[in-house]
Amino acid sequence: MMDTEKEDFKSRLAPDVTPNRQLPWLTGIELLSDTNQNKHFLPTGLEGIDALLGGGLRQGQVTEIVGPSSSGKTQVCLSSATHVVDRNFGMVLYLDTSNSFSPFRISCFVNQLHPSLPKELKETSLQTIMSNIYCQSVFDIFALLDLLHHVETTLKHTVKLGGSKLCLLIVDSVSSVIAPVIGGKNSQGWCMMASVGVLLKRIAYEHNIAVLVTNHMVGGENGTLKPALGESWKGIPHIRLLLSHGTGNNRGTTTVLKHTLMASGRTANFVIGN
Amino acid sequence: MEISNLPISPSIRSKLLSKGYTSLSSLSSISPSFLAQELSVKLEEAVEVLRAVSDTTTSKSAHIPNGIIPGAVTAWDMLSEEQMQRHISTGCEDLDAILGGGIHCKEVTEVGGVPGIGKTQLGIQLAVNVQIPVEYGGLGGKAVYIDTEGSFMAERAYQIAEGCIYDILDKFPSNSREFLSCKERLQVNNFLAGIFYFRICSYTEQIAVINYLENFLTEHGDVKLVIIDSVTFHFRQDFDDLAQRTRVLGGLSLRLMKLSKMFNLAVVLLNQVTTKFTDGSFQLTLALGDSWSHSCTNRIILHWNGNERCAYIEKSPSVASASAPYLVTGKGIRGINSNFKRARIM
Repeated sequence: MMDTEKEDFKSRLAPDVTPNRQLPWLTGIELLSDTNQNKHFLPTGLEGIDALLGGGLRQGQVTEIVGPSSSGKTQVCLSSATHVVDRNFGMVLYLDTSNSFSPFRISCFVNQLHPSLPKELKETSLQTIMSNIYCQSVFDIFALLDLLHHVETTLKHTVKLGGSKLCLLIVDSVSSVIAPVIGGKNSQGWCMMASVGVLLKRIAYEHNIAVLVTNHMVGGENGTLKPALGESWKGIPHIRLLLSHGTGNNRGTTTVLKHTLMASGRTANFVIGN
Repeated sequence: MEISNLPISPSIRSKLLSKGYTSLSSLSSISPSFLAQELSVKLEEAVEVLRAVSDTTTSKSAHIPNGIIPGAVTAWDMLSEEQMQRHISTGCEDLDAILGGGIHCKEVTEVGGVPGIGKTQLGIQLAVNVQIPVEYGGLGGKAVYIDTEGSFMAERAYQIAEGCIYDILDKFPSNSREFLSCKERLQVNNFLAGIFYFRICSYTEQIAVINYLENFLTEHGDVKLVIIDSVTFHFRQDFDDLAQRTRVLGGLSLRLMKLSKMFNLAVVLLNQVTTKFTDGSFQLTLALGDSWSHSCTNRIILHWNGNERCAYIEKSPSVASASAPYLVTGKGIRGINSNFKRARIM
């Protein structure tokens, strides 16, 4: 190839070859107005939790729910998926690692939404809502990374086609795919955990999506429980909530472990409907 | 999509990255000869790289119109599938009722309890009940029984199968033609032949058999139930490194989840109990630690309620927590009321 053609070719390639991660510099005022106008709160549907979070899950941020077994983490995820689609924020993608996604339970939540609607309207609304919740099973960390990359590519290349756009990404639970690879002699697992974290945050920030992940608990010192995945994972979610069993069947308590705007330690009670 | 995820040799990958090609889009409009010159590789290798790139982009972009990612199903489609799904009866109507019909396929159910409560009995009962033909309300599938403790007894399985057939013929006494052909299949020996039995003597064998199960299930497509009795036994005594045990068990449970989803079968894990010191007192909890408690979809705890055996649903994404009493009879697991259904003169 002649030199001039080579130069011309390289200049055409330049935007793709150089990493185009140079997002524009923004002033504080621009960031604040962007936050107020664009970063909405997506409702979880559980009043106590929504009130505690100031409205719900924040777009652009990663929220983590930690709790002991059967404290209601999956129920919060299912309830959020239902309420977010019902209020027309967009589509929901539910990545499920323990076969806990229950369409029956989603239909129960939908039926509680508008109890006064006539029967035909209820059925069409059920179909509309459930057709906007996508579920995919993930059983290992490589598949998760692959899926997240694919979601990122799809979001980059899709202009809003008039249909709905992805607004909530749920990973239930991110700890079951990460926990088997961390620890041990080699550090590859920690790298992959960091990749998952960075990818989730990037997807949330660049495409204005709320990300909700669940984490389980492991034994700590003196027999107390602590969140799994260790110290390195602590910095990844923007907001961490701790769920615990309450008195009675569907009741629970939420505690704020980490939040970007408010002090931690605040609690609220919530009730999961039937 | 990154270059680092492409199926190409590491030397070529490092050359691509050092020249600045980090994303697939940067390789989309290059001719093979130009790429060969850039990377100082042979023309055939450059052609292969570009073929790998085009394979990845076409396979993934083909599904973009359908949804966000290939393979994702909407909740609406899953709902209609779920409503047509049959469940595996446990033999006790009350327990079936609180479970929402029985043990669900595509889910991993953990059953735990103190010794002697009936875990193995429930396991054998499920292995028999999964084989009830479709015409009689069952799944008509086979069962895989992985035995780690040696508690499976063929004579007891024979008894339970006999009891099950007796009850089916009791319930469906009609002699119409469609039932006649099924009646021939209702032989105790057929039921015993439908249970594939694996005896495991160490934790390595347990990991190996679960790895092997994928091949086995591909060959035997009619298996609808996998029981592991018990999943705890070999992991309690041999393991010194508890952190490694947690990792191994985590990987095991993910593999079982994948099997249950892929082959549309139910996985039932029987677990033992241990004591745990919480809140100043010793309490009974399931063995294998806190991390294991997140590795199942549903959990049922069998316990004594006075003199009665009771089953309590501790964890389930779709049904509420509830309790039901059951009996272990000569014919297998039965409910409290079924004893009084008809008085038989022995």
